[in-house]
Amino acid sequence: MHKKKRIVVTGMGTINAIANNVPEFVRALGEGSCGIGEIDLFDTTGYRCRKGGQIRNFLPRRFIPAEFPLKRMSRADFLAFAATLEALHDAGLYPLPEAMKEDMGVAIGGGSGGLLEGESFYSDLLQKGSGKAHFSRLSSVYCASSTDRIATYLGLLGPKITLMTACSSGATVLGYARDLIRNGQAAIMLAGGTEPMCRITYSSFNALKSLDPDVCRPFDLHRGGLSLGEAAAVMVLEPMESALARGARIYGEILGYGVTCDAHHMTSPDEQASGAIRAMQAALKDSGLGPEDIDYINAHGTATAVNDAMESMAIREVFGRRAYAIPISSTKSMTAHTLGASGALEGIVSLVALAHGFMPPTINYRDPDPRCDLDYITEGARPAALRAVLSNSFAFGGNNTTVIFGKRPDGSAGHA
Amino acid sequence: MHNQRPQTQDSGRVVVTGIGMATPLGVGKEAFGSRIFSGESAISDIRSFGTQSFPSHLGAEVTDFSPRDFISLKNLRRMDRISQLTTAAARLALDDAGIAVNLANRDRIGILMGTAFGATDVTVHLAETLIKEGPSFVNPILVPNTVLNAAAGNASIELGFRGVNVTVTHFAVSAETALAYAIAEIRRGAANYILAGGADILSPFYFEALTRFYALSPGDGKTEACRPFDRDRNGMVVGEGCGILCLESRETARARGRKPYCELTGIGLGSSPTPPTQWPTDPAGIKRTIRRALDNAGIGPEDIQAVSAAANGGRVLDAVEAAAYADIFAGAKAKDGPAITSLKGALGESFSGGGMRACALALSLGKGAFPPTVGLAEPLRPLAFVRGETKALPIEHALLAGISFGGTYVYLVFSRCHGEEEIP
Repeated sequence: MHKKKRIVVTGMGTINAIANNVPEFVRALGEGSCGIGEIDLFDTTGYRCRKGGQIRNFLPRRFIPAEFPLKRMSRADFLAFAATLEALHDAGLYPLPEAMKEDMGVAIGGGSGGLLEGESFYSDLLQKGSGKAHFSRLSSVYCASSTDRIATYLGLLGPKITLMTACSSGATVLGYARDLIRNGQAAIMLAGGTEPMCRITYSSFNALKSLDPDVCRPFDLHRGGLSLGEAAAVMVLEPMESALARGARIYGEILGYGVTCDAHHMTSPDEQASGAIRAMQAALKDSGLGPEDIDYINAHGTATAVNDAMESMAIREVFGRRAYAIPISSTKSMTAHTLGASGALEGIVSLVALAHGFMPPTINYRDPDPRCDLDYITEGARPAALRAVLSNSFAFGGNNTTVIFGKRPDGSAGHA
Repeated sequence: MHNQRPQTQDSGRVVVTGIGMATPLGVGKEAFGSRIFSGESAISDIRSFGTQSFPSHLGAEVTDFSPRDFISLKNLRRMDRISQLTTAAARLALDDAGIAVNLANRDRIGILMGTAFGATDVTVHLAETLIKEGPSFVNPILVPNTVLNAAAGNASIELGFRGVNVTVTHFAVSAETALAYAIAEIRRGAANYILAGGADILSPFYFEALTRFYALSPGDGKTEACRPFDRDRNGMVVGEGCGILCLESRETARARGRKPYCELTGIGLGSSPTPPTQWPTDPAGIKRTIRRALDNAGIGPEDIQAVSAAANGGRVLDAVEAAAYADIFAGAKAKDGPAITSLKGALGESFSGGGMRACALALSLGKGAFPPTVGLAEPLRPLAFVRGETKALPIEHALLAGISFGGTYVYLVFSRCHGEEEIP
């Protein structure tokens, strides 16, 4: 067996409820900021819950230069493209060198796609009839629209991938993008996720009674469900050799990932936690690591009654006695649950933890739950020199993805 | 870059050992095979909804499908049509591969599905309730089916496999991308068996949307028909259906004594800058992606005997695809170039129809026969299009073409398996 190519992250970009860019995100994660508040993007009258992790006062032109037309782009497209531009700047690759475009690709994990704009189309269709509805507005409704925009605006000629495994999309794309580089299908990849706040998705979670009317409280005894959020998070992935050769700053390495399925229920996780256990085990195996190598876990931690108990049980099962010694946090307590983007957003959290040497907290926590008896970092961020971080993303459809990130290789350029 | 695949051991070689289909030309590979190889078309007047108010009336619908033959009542109640077709095809593919899901193997069986639009009609219905009646009236039972990965999730619940489970949604290359991802997962050893393909369904909403995008025949107001690669083509005809291949390593197939249909030897993935929703007009992206697929398989254009094309009867797509083949295979005289066919002449354009076309191509390699492009009378270029009836053709290597509006390309190399006759 020849040695597998090591794939590292050299650039990151995000917009979410607590930050407009990565430096702000680092600060907000350290401070334990809460981005969950009253939603004003749409009318929440008649819902069980009126809160969410909304990005406030989002103006696309503040993030996207005038050379890129905004016409017919959805909120999901704007967020994804803005995060992409930040990631490229951050990687020292903007403007993108012409020679890189040939073998550069983009992989985006989606969720609601352009459903915010889609709803206004459906509304026109129902109220004004099909003669008056502008069907061209459907062009950005589907998740692949964000991927197409990024590739076309940047002139990329490499692979273009859009995955949709609901709340694990943003994690799964990181693994597949790594493999596209390893397998020689791309030299460099943009990979991430995007999720807009939108009323249709909000209504779906409202109907399933999975929203906490207040802020979500992951792992708390009185947790009452999740808070919905929105975000985009995009990374630049490239082989370690090329990153070192061009003197790029390296945040960390994508060591491994695992994808499994519960085959149990479309909307509830398997309480026996088999899928989550196997996802973590598969990621460890793919990384060539053992349970003793993981120093921090960024939990899926949605704050639903079932998930948090199930995930805690899965961690105990995978890590044995060491489970009690591994600090764990759910940063959804700050950003809310950003669905299709969450895996990539929490990938950035994991890389921030590795590169900046701290573990972000689980905020909003008050009362311990005997079924959630691990170390959830409830008293504020903790400094730590981490070797490897495990990040979980579990989804509708019983799709589970775990990604493991490693610290930047010794001697490489680190974060300032 | 794009060099020959690194693994040469049997464990890194991916073969097709099962075919599962729920299509407008029949359910199951036998029904489908007998009709596609006799040159039949599934295109006729749409029956599942009224088309009186539209300029187009044709489609390729899955008609003789009984979900109860494949799905337990308990799970069936929760499934919309795309989940039903997917679950049926997944079951057929497992059966065809001789795999019984059990406690010992279920965690090593996965699914990689492509769908362009998923259950659009369910989402539209949910949106309608929300808009007309308000959030309290949204039915939670509908919610899971609105999520694009519902079909793969439902199939896993019904059939009990718990390995890798991913849904790709990238317009008209969703299924081809899912296949490419599945090949990589088998090569990586992420699963022993992966069901991979695509599914999309015809719905009144999406039929209307395509009408309004002026994508459907008869775009010129003349005769409505699907005529891929024809000079007189005037737009696509929509279809639906699901096709799924069971993939595994040559090593596991050999160990189980299964004779594969074919081997999947090359992956090419690419893009070209193209405005959203528009078809590319420059063949460069297609040509680049074909070269990547050929390099990945370690072969050249002269090694290809057959191309299962993406052409759907659209003005732009068919012309750009034919131009790419004319260039790529320029070394050969037109009549000596690879046989080219578009099964969309028989199946319509279902966006994730790459799953059905992949199944057909696997059957072609096994049979040494390549079906015709139904509807093609006057080719737009002098290429070796298969017309009229199935061509007897021993195929060593074939290409499956995936081309999407928005400028996304996936090409896969299907190759004949040698030396499997010795399997005990």
